[in-house]
Amino acid sequence: MKRLASFALALAFPALVLGWWEWESRQGLGHAYAFAPLEQIARSFLEMLADGRLALHAGASLQRALTALLIGGTIGIVAGVATGLSRVLDRTASPLITVMRQVPILGWLPLVALWFGNGDGAKLLLVSLSAFYPTVLNTQKGMQAIEQRYAEVGRLYGFTRSQSLRMIAWPSALPLIFTGISQALAFAWIATIGVELLFSASAGLGTEMMAAQVAARTDIVLVCVACVGVMGFTLNQLFALLRTRLLRWQPATAK
Amino acid sequence: MPMPSRGPAPSRLPAMAIRIAPIAGILILWEIAALSGIWPRQVLVPLEQVGATLLALASDGELARHLSASLYRLASGFLVGSVIGVSTGAAMALSRNVHRLLWPTFSCVRQVPVIAFIPLLILFFDVEDSFKIVVVAMASFFPSALATHDAVRDIPESHREVARLYRMPTAPFLVRLILPATVPQVLTGLRLGLTRGWLSLVAAELLAADSGLGQMMEMGRQLFQIDVVLAGVFVTGLIGFLLDNSMVRVERHLSRWRTA
Repeated sequence: MKRLASFALALAFPALVLGWWEWESRQGLGHAYAFAPLEQIARSFLEMLADGRLALHAGASLQRALTALLIGGTIGIVAGVATGLSRVLDRTASPLITVMRQVPILGWLPLVALWFGNGDGAKLLLVSLSAFYPTVLNTQKGMQAIEQRYAEVGRLYGFTRSQSLRMIAWPSALPLIFTGISQALAFAWIATIGVELLFSASAGLGTEMMAAQVAARTDIVLVCVACVGVMGFTLNQLFALLRTRLLRWQPATAK
Repeated sequence: MPMPSRGPAPSRLPAMAIRIAPIAGILILWEIAALSGIWPRQVLVPLEQVGATLLALASDGELARHLSASLYRLASGFLVGSVIGVSTGAAMALSRNVHRLLWPTFSCVRQVPVIAFIPLLILFFDVEDSFKIVVVAMASFFPSALATHDAVRDIPESHREVARLYRMPTAPFLVRLILPATVPQVLTGLRLGLTRGWLSLVAAELLAADSGLGQMMEMGRQLFQIDVVLAGVFVTGLIGFLLDNSMVRVERHLSRWRTA
């Protein structure tokens, strides 16, 4: 009974919003322009699903986000390990990263557009940058926060530099590295949609949304918004699963 | 007689110099590359030209016009978004029924990045000021609501028990118990909201605006004025830094009783 009540309440709010929306859509043509009738939204969704448009744009966005995650994340981890191990590199690179990071990712967009055009390369550059920051910062933090007793053991056994990196520093930094990657995944997804909104060339959910906005097709915009949300959520969940699987040997420190 | 202490200045100065050196190095490299003429002057603009442009924009009031437009949107959007956010978050944490009503929808909508709502908001609000204010409000709503919800929920049950035992009226209960217990976490949420609001505002202004820093950069891009774009990037970064830094200071100031 209690369960039922909370379920009903959970549905009440969206039902209210949808009801209001449907009511608004019937208040003449002027309103139907912004408030697309629910039935039409559903129809557009099915249509986009059937003619492969949704798959095309969603696939393009996904591919862009994951490619950029691979590029930015790899560079981020390598840079994080390097700056985490070497004081000189840390002192050279960290202030630069701190200064760069103050500019919102999309604030770089006009500059990148002028230097590199507005093609796929420019988009990839910006999304990779958004994936780079969290991975480099977390990896660096992870490398610097090695527990003293483990380092001590390494010294006792006379580990070489590469041995202690491989067997002590890297595994103990892994949870934070994973945190960095999961943040990078979220940032890359947001940045992908952002650059696609602003660089309207080639396929992608953001580009499709912008085109639909210009054509005043609220129904298509809404389908894309929902798609962006569902995909972002699914990506995060999948990565969380992967993380628990890969880090299961480290139950205490992983969080 | 002991030597008078010379304070931390001598040891701090080199540390500061070491921190600034890489940035200075990059700027010098930039300047050399710009002057060498490998790339055309319009593409790799010498720094003094960026500085001159910045000064010119500042002195003819152009920069002030864009900056005040952006900051006005940021301030009003942040105010609206964070007030609604904090009260929604607190309500969801304090009342089980409000939680049941709003939480599922809240957690769903939260999954969508705010900039993905920009095309939708343009359809609803046109490209007027209100559109950008709504974007900022949405961007600051979610982090502040979430942080407040978590902060209030994390208050130990014993605190609330005591308040119930003493039959504490609602207003003092909120001001004297809930507020101080949640200050640090809520402030962190507000800071995140402000940063996200700034990011989303720049995106919105790049996309559709007649004024604002984003629009200034976008115009610079269309007219191929890299110096204007770079000046815009610099000011955008500076504002972002100042916002974050001042929020960190407020956080530290208001939570100092915790550590003391």
